[in-house]
Amino acid sequence: MPANKNNGHDAAGQGFKAHPLQYPVLRYSNLIEALEGAPGERPFVTFWVDEDEQETVTFAEFRRRARLQAGALRGQGATCGDRVVIVMPQDIPAMTVFAGAMMLGAVPAFLAYPNEKVDPTKYRSGLAGVTANLKAKLVVIDRDFPEEMIGCVSLDEEATLVRAADTRDGSAVEIVPNVLTEINSAAFIQHSAGTTGLQKGVALTHGAVLRQLEHLTRALDIDGAKDSIYSWLPLYHDMGLIACFMLPVVRHIPVVMQSPVDWVMRPESMLQVISEHKCTLAWMPNFAFQFVPRRTRPNRRAQYDLSSVRALINCSEPVRASSMKEFQDAFGVCGLKPGALQSSYAMAENVFAVTQSDPQSSSGPARLWADGSVFRSSHQLVTSAEGTPGSICFASSGRLLPHHEIRIVSEAGSDLPNGAVGEILVKSDCLFEGYYNRPDLTEKAIVDGWYHTGDLGFRMEEKLFVVGRKKDLIIVGGENLYPQDIEEIVASHPAIHDGRVIALGLYNPDLGTEEILVVAEVEREELLADAEVIEREIRSRIAAGLGVTAGTILLKPPKWIVKSTAGKAARSTTLEKLKKEHPELNIGGV
Amino acid sequence: MTPEQKQMVEFILKRIRKPNLTIDENTPLVSSGLVDSMALGDLLLELEDVTHMRIPPGKVKPKDLDSVTLMFATAARVGKPQK
Repeated sequence: MPANKNNGHDAAGQGFKAHPLQYPVLRYSNLIEALEGAPGERPFVTFWVDEDEQETVTFAEFRRRARLQAGALRGQGATCGDRVVIVMPQDIPAMTVFAGAMMLGAVPAFLAYPNEKVDPTKYRSGLAGVTANLKAKLVVIDRDFPEEMIGCVSLDEEATLVRAADTRDGSAVEIVPNVLTEINSAAFIQHSAGTTGLQKGVALTHGAVLRQLEHLTRALDIDGAKDSIYSWLPLYHDMGLIACFMLPVVRHIPVVMQSPVDWVMRPESMLQVISEHKCTLAWMPNFAFQFVPRRTRPNRRAQYDLSSVRALINCSEPVRASSMKEFQDAFGVCGLKPGALQSSYAMAENVFAVTQSDPQSSSGPARLWADGSVFRSSHQLVTSAEGTPGSICFASSGRLLPHHEIRIVSEAGSDLPNGAVGEILVKSDCLFEGYYNRPDLTEKAIVDGWYHTGDLGFRMEEKLFVVGRKKDLIIVGGENLYPQDIEEIVASHPAIHDGRVIALGLYNPDLGTEEILVVAEVEREELLADAEVIEREIRSRIAAGLGVTAGTILLKPPKWIVKSTAGKAARSTTLEKLKKEHPELNIGGV
Repeated sequence: MTPEQKQMVEFILKRIRKPNLTIDENTPLVSSGLVDSMALGDLLLELEDVTHMRIPPGKVKPKDLDSVTLMFATAARVGKPQK
């Protein structure tokens, strides 16, 4: 229990931190030792495809397959310290390759499998960028990786493309895992999406991951004998990798997993899996709390049983109280307990969670109402009663995990008091040491030991409320998109004036997430007569380049976008203009 | 266009809600960026209703649903009777 009732919160509201708990040292010195320590006969991963097709492997079987993959990787030249990039569909083989790489002391990184909408040229350049940045030794693809896409896998000259071993054919050789890997050595690397994001590899040590999982275990009171996890989350994202792969590895608890691609096509399947396997814990981004109810017909809900769930945690995007309420209202009939829906604020740069709401609270995360118009215009918080016309509701992301500190700072860097909105800075014993091979990005991100998240939030009564996203980052369905990636693609269209494109995210309350808005100037005014055709072509290019769909595309005449003195598109001034001319768009809305 | 295909086209137009958009049974939907992953789930549910079949999402890739024609071919190939 915290030593200080106020949990380290001083009167000025500065340097808000949780007092360190006194608890035993970490049980394991690295993740492979943790995996090797699991009871062999206990079920580990169940991969669910549909009710007629699922595979369960025990810890012993998973270890065996991972050792075989490790042997195959070694046979292909990988050794301790080498970076191994894994491009495989989400399934048990991909997980065994990842673990196998760690068994060698190599440093794996999952990358998203090529989206079928993505232009092969774009995919190739993204992958080449990653392998060059990491100086990867191997890029591992699955045995069914389409031949026609092989040519699209372009690598840095130091890297070799290999297919994952088939652990069933008897040709691979098991290795003895290296359990002596030093706790402060790199365990694996995570990347965010998009061309720009792929250059920011977050390297995490075994120690940082183990400490995070120890904190998370205590915050959620995880019980190795009773808990099991459900997940549809991609393994290349911190929520999927840490909460739904590394946490089960270290705490020796079962995880039932679906492919995110399968889940998004049938969101209702999540309810079926949880009902069948009585899962107790799950995490998902905010949009899913609306997406699942809206894709589950009311007359089908009562057949599901969610009574086993003790914490379904809203994480990765700003948490919206309305989204969580929608989920609770829809699935209360399935036995979903009041208080089962909880929240967290997390990021790869901190391994995962910074805060966690109280899973014992039967009312879920704390909520607060404030004057909507004052907030939107000035980011000031004027609290109001629930139900006051024009008020907006903020849901908290919970309290700090142990050994974590945050500051809320103004644009000038000064600490702000409770209730004031500013940038969230984080310091913890799980913080990353830097972006792999990118000291330039690291220098901007970590200043005096504090990680500058770029997220906006405020504190109230020892809880953190996250209200905005990283500057200029667009988050669609939990996925990070960089505006400059979208702008570059749009600007490549011959009808569009180069450099005169702005992409941003607009929150859509119907979806519970953002949609992409593009504003682009045409080269000549007469081109606006072909707006429909140009828009369609731009939409196709964005889909081919990034595998995402643009929500709204606005074509404007020359000189519409406001320019800065440097001649570039002046983002914030242009946004003000857009708000005035298009009040129907929810620009700056919550 | 068969009546079932017409029903799917009408559903897609309602779902996408883009003014002045026309599509037929062979219009590329996914590869053109008109339909995203989240909308695909809606189309899959509608397809199941129209064909009276259960279509396991694990057996379907987005390219299998890229047009109305492809959707019905996919349903015929991997669909199972509804329970």
